[in-house]
Amino acid sequence: MQERSDNMLMDRPIRSTFAWLVVDTFRQARANGILYVLLAISVISIAVCCTVGVSGAESLNIGGDPDDFLPRIDPQVTDTARLEQSGVVVAGGTLTLGFGAIEVPVARTRNGAVHFLQLLLAGGVADTLGLMLALIWTAGFLPTFLDPRSISVLLAKPAPRWVLLAGKYVGVLLFVLCYAVLFVVGTWLAIGVRTGIWTPAYLWAVPLLLLHFSIFFAFSVLLAVATRSTVVCVLGSLVFWVVAWSMNFGRHAFFSATDLAGETLKSPLLAWVVDAGYWILPKPADLGALFYNTLGAGDHFGKLFDAEALAAHGFSMTLSIASSVAFAAVVLIASMRSFGREDY
Amino acid sequence: MDVRLNARAAAVFSKVSKRFRVGLGTRSITALDEVSLSIAWGEVFGLIGPNRAGKTTLVKKLLSICHPTSGRIMRMESSISDRSTLARVGYVHENPAFPRYLNARQVVEGYGRMTGLPRREVRERSEELLHRVGLADRLDERIQNFSKGMLQRLALAQALVNDPRLLVLDEPAEGMDLPARRLLDDVIEERRNAGHTVILVSHALTDVRRLCDRIAVLRGGRVAYMGTVAGLAGQDMQDNDDSPLESAVEALYAGAQR
Repeated sequence: MQERSDNMLMDRPIRSTFAWLVVDTFRQARANGILYVLLAISVISIAVCCTVGVSGAESLNIGGDPDDFLPRIDPQVTDTARLEQSGVVVAGGTLTLGFGAIEVPVARTRNGAVHFLQLLLAGGVADTLGLMLALIWTAGFLPTFLDPRSISVLLAKPAPRWVLLAGKYVGVLLFVLCYAVLFVVGTWLAIGVRTGIWTPAYLWAVPLLLLHFSIFFAFSVLLAVATRSTVVCVLGSLVFWVVAWSMNFGRHAFFSATDLAGETLKSPLLAWVVDAGYWILPKPADLGALFYNTLGAGDHFGKLFDAEALAAHGFSMTLSIASSVAFAAVVLIASMRSFGREDY
Repeated sequence: MDVRLNARAAAVFSKVSKRFRVGLGTRSITALDEVSLSIAWGEVFGLIGPNRAGKTTLVKKLLSICHPTSGRIMRMESSISDRSTLARVGYVHENPAFPRYLNARQVVEGYGRMTGLPRREVRERSEELLHRVGLADRLDERIQNFSKGMLQRLALAQALVNDPRLLVLDEPAEGMDLPARRLLDDVIEERRNAGHTVILVSHALTDVRRLCDRIAVLRGGRVAYMGTVAGLAGQDMQDNDDSPLESAVEALYAGAQR
């Protein structure tokens, strides 16, 4: 009877602990306000998308021809009828916001206008504002969790220490995933219903946002274990992101500049150092490029760097993303090992 | 100190030492120095000593919260590396703190779930224990409004939720009012009667005298005395009179070895 009771007591403590920590992270997000901030950003964005309208021809593209037209706001467009007689298509649509309160002339095509709006939402609001807020706000979660007075009781539970850290990490990722799903799917549906234009590629923003966040939050976990300081985690994560971005973009600029100047590398040692730094650190600029490529931003914005030219210098988007993920994995394992040895 | 170590005990410490590095790792402080002691099943064992004697460090080692520098520790007849034994351990921290955004019910249920108890069982036990510790009317209130005494009661409830065979209480009565202290006494008595073990870390000699079967006095990280309270206080010890025990303990704190 006693043996049966003991077996029942060992009924999945690891899974129970993990699940409880994930749920606890959502409670923590609600208590410290980040849940409401991200919810507000999502709801406002969805609400704005619900007011979007687009008028004009179904498509201003002619058959399978490439886009070759003048936007209505172009200074050359003074006599639309004459231009159209000579075979020039003038974009005549209008993108409206606030149920027509704000009118924005469509510069190219209807689809292009909607696509541009989606890029602003995914790149500007979700990937920049949303993720930065999430990174700053959630950076305090682990230092609070690791406070010696509260963590001591948890350390005296059967689940191994790594489960505590993994539970919190996954909890924060699931929270950010929920935010990303709400924001991206919500705005996608709202725009789709209002305009009839559905862009499936836009939905790729969800996994890409999560990937971006997961890599930099892993570094925040390491700082939390090492210092237990919210300030260090917040500032450290942001500084690290800037350093990683600079190293990433700097490496591409370094090789591109050398190619443009038609020179061979003057300092192989410098090139090796730049390359090593690039491959070791996570690569936010490459992640950004992947994000924009996947969403087809090349139709609207210039390229951050020329991936094809950089391939000659060993650049590969697949390897870049894989090495960023590997960095996050190594940092997480190091955090768990350090946490496992820590005295409280 | 020569101690007969019994592997079939609730807790066994064999030549356990702990040194903490300080000042950028250039110096070290010895918190525990070759401590050996054995705590039997079914006994209430008191750990007393002056501040920084190593009492809390010793129990933290037993609970795998802190790692020993050297020595061997057995918890519930298994090595401390076997974490499954922690499923039947309860612990009240000397200064309990729980996430401030949780309510009392969430704390006890959540911490109970972490011991591996099935959801339904933990729910029933949580409800029962929170009633018992006098928090029945605050079940769904966020604990950020709780006083120190209420947090101590909550800590006691979460420590009991898994019906622990080994209960470690580190200064549990700190901040508790009289009814809560009586409840604590009852809990300790019930544990003993059930054949379970209680380790009580305390500065309150009255509690130690009333409740403990045996005690260890730590001083400077070493065991200065281990045995019964009567053995330390002498045969002239009377019920309700702490003065012989206080005198003996003061003498030990001052450096006289027994």
